[in-house]
Amino acid sequence: MEAGQGPSSTTAVALEALTKRFGRRRGIEGVSLEVRAGEVLGFLGPNGAGKSTTIRLVMGLLLPTSGSVRVFGSDPRHDVSVRRRIGYLPGELALYPSLSGAELIGRVARMRGGVESRRVDQLVERLRVELDRPIRALSKGNRQKVGLVLAFMHQPDLLVLDEPSSGLDPLLQEEFEGMVRERVRDGATVFLSSHDLDEVDRVVDRVAIIRRGRLVGVDTLDQLRQRAPRLVEVRFAEPIDPTRILALPGVRALDANATELRLEVTGPLGELLQTVQPLGVADLTARPASLDAIFRSFYEDTPRGEEIHAY
Amino acid sequence: MRTDFARLDLRLRRRGSWAYSLGIGAYALLIVVLYPAFKHDTSLDQLMRGNPTMAALFGISGSLTSPAGWLNANLYANVVPLFALLVTIGYGAAAVAGDNGDERLGLLAALPVSRHALLAQKLLALGVLSLPVAVATLAADVVGRFYQLRPSWQGLVGVTAGVALTAMVFGCLALATGCLTNSRGIAIGVSSAVAAASYVINSLSGSVVWVHHLRLLSPLYWAVGQNQVENGLPVSSLIALIATAAVLSGIAFWAFDRLDLR
Repeated sequence: MEAGQGPSSTTAVALEALTKRFGRRRGIEGVSLEVRAGEVLGFLGPNGAGKSTTIRLVMGLLLPTSGSVRVFGSDPRHDVSVRRRIGYLPGELALYPSLSGAELIGRVARMRGGVESRRVDQLVERLRVELDRPIRALSKGNRQKVGLVLAFMHQPDLLVLDEPSSGLDPLLQEEFEGMVRERVRDGATVFLSSHDLDEVDRVVDRVAIIRRGRLVGVDTLDQLRQRAPRLVEVRFAEPIDPTRILALPGVRALDANATELRLEVTGPLGELLQTVQPLGVADLTARPASLDAIFRSFYEDTPRGEEIHAY
Repeated sequence: MRTDFARLDLRLRRRGSWAYSLGIGAYALLIVVLYPAFKHDTSLDQLMRGNPTMAALFGISGSLTSPAGWLNANLYANVVPLFALLVTIGYGAAAVAGDNGDERLGLLAALPVSRHALLAQKLLALGVLSLPVAVATLAADVVGRFYQLRPSWQGLVGVTAGVALTAMVFGCLALATGCLTNSRGIAIGVSSAVAAASYVINSLSGSVVWVHHLRLLSPLYWAVGQNQVENGLPVSSLIALIATAAVLSGIAFWAFDRLDLR
């Protein structure tokens, strides 16, 4: 779907000019975003950028200051039936410390209704959830496993997960990623926030990046990589004058001396190669930006990443 | 009507409710068992007559040595409502503002249940929690019949209902304040301050003329301030307490609908 078009039937979540302020404190400002049905959208941003606020708005827990939230075409704040289709894992997972995992899962399953006990058993076994100990006695990772069971147990059409793998060990993280892929294979949509870029790389189809309450980028990881600056190192056989090279569009010097240049290059490399080739290149390496570097460029106060909106 | 949310809250407060009930039950039992020892002690009534305002400050009015006077002075004018209010103000403040402050309410509100239904279940739990202290005291009163303490059944049932309803009223006040302010501390503070003022107004209404005019503002006057142990709960009291709880519940519904949850 192209930018500027309205939500379609293939849209799971549609945020339109969504703003939330907490008195004088900033929440989010004018966020417009669509999560397509069947995709995994990673929602990224530095701490305090507004990820959890956006997620709570999607869940209907916060009253928007302005703008709208639609989930499967309905307002999740007022439409109870649409919440039946959502599995939610909050970022700050606070459970009832005196209850055991088994009691909490059982009670929430009854509150939700329509949860198959067989499905719960499968999840418990898969995540190796400690059911019998009180929640207060569980480690963060084990509490997170209980939260994941609560989010996945009713096989929701939309999973809204706020830092879902926080506290999980690598094996369980892998298991969680498998669970996400299975739900997506069954047609579900996933909207997840994460600080784990490797996980994002493995799981998501597109990413949306929020910074200081505003959406600064939405695109696929491949597109982001292509648009991201590359690191180019050139060594010359003889000392050169780099003026022409540094004047090329999209080229920025990270380090330069008479025979070596370290450059950050945004866009195609053709013009750079044509310019350096007659100068006697002894060696040249070009590396794509790491995912970490791409996101840093969005997170920094003066982001080098251009604003990209392809929703 | 589904009651899963109410049962969860009651389950979480099970130990506390039992502790309060057993505590007040044991205290009330001690009071009724002691009655025969004081039944003919005229010095107590003389003390009362000598300084009625001071006695009123402790919630004591009328004869101390009559069965109704003994129960009023030692239980229903002070300790029993205090215990009942501790339970319901505590729950009312925790049910929304407390749970939200602890970031637990969002997980439940994200389930397929409307906010009105969720709050209705919190009110149901509050109603249940209004009962144990009053009922435990009633049970001790029943034992008192074997210790020469025999006020009318109508009076005992009436004052029990009065205590439970006033506990509900103050719980609703704490709940509504919590929904309006999203602060457990403010909810407890406001409700406790109103309860204290209500106690003073009810206690002094028989002794201080200008306070007498304020008595209708005190839920404790409607619940226990009209010698309910002897006369039972008047219909006017029943209506006043139910209407106050209903208005406060309405405010809570209105505010909860607009509350940001975490």
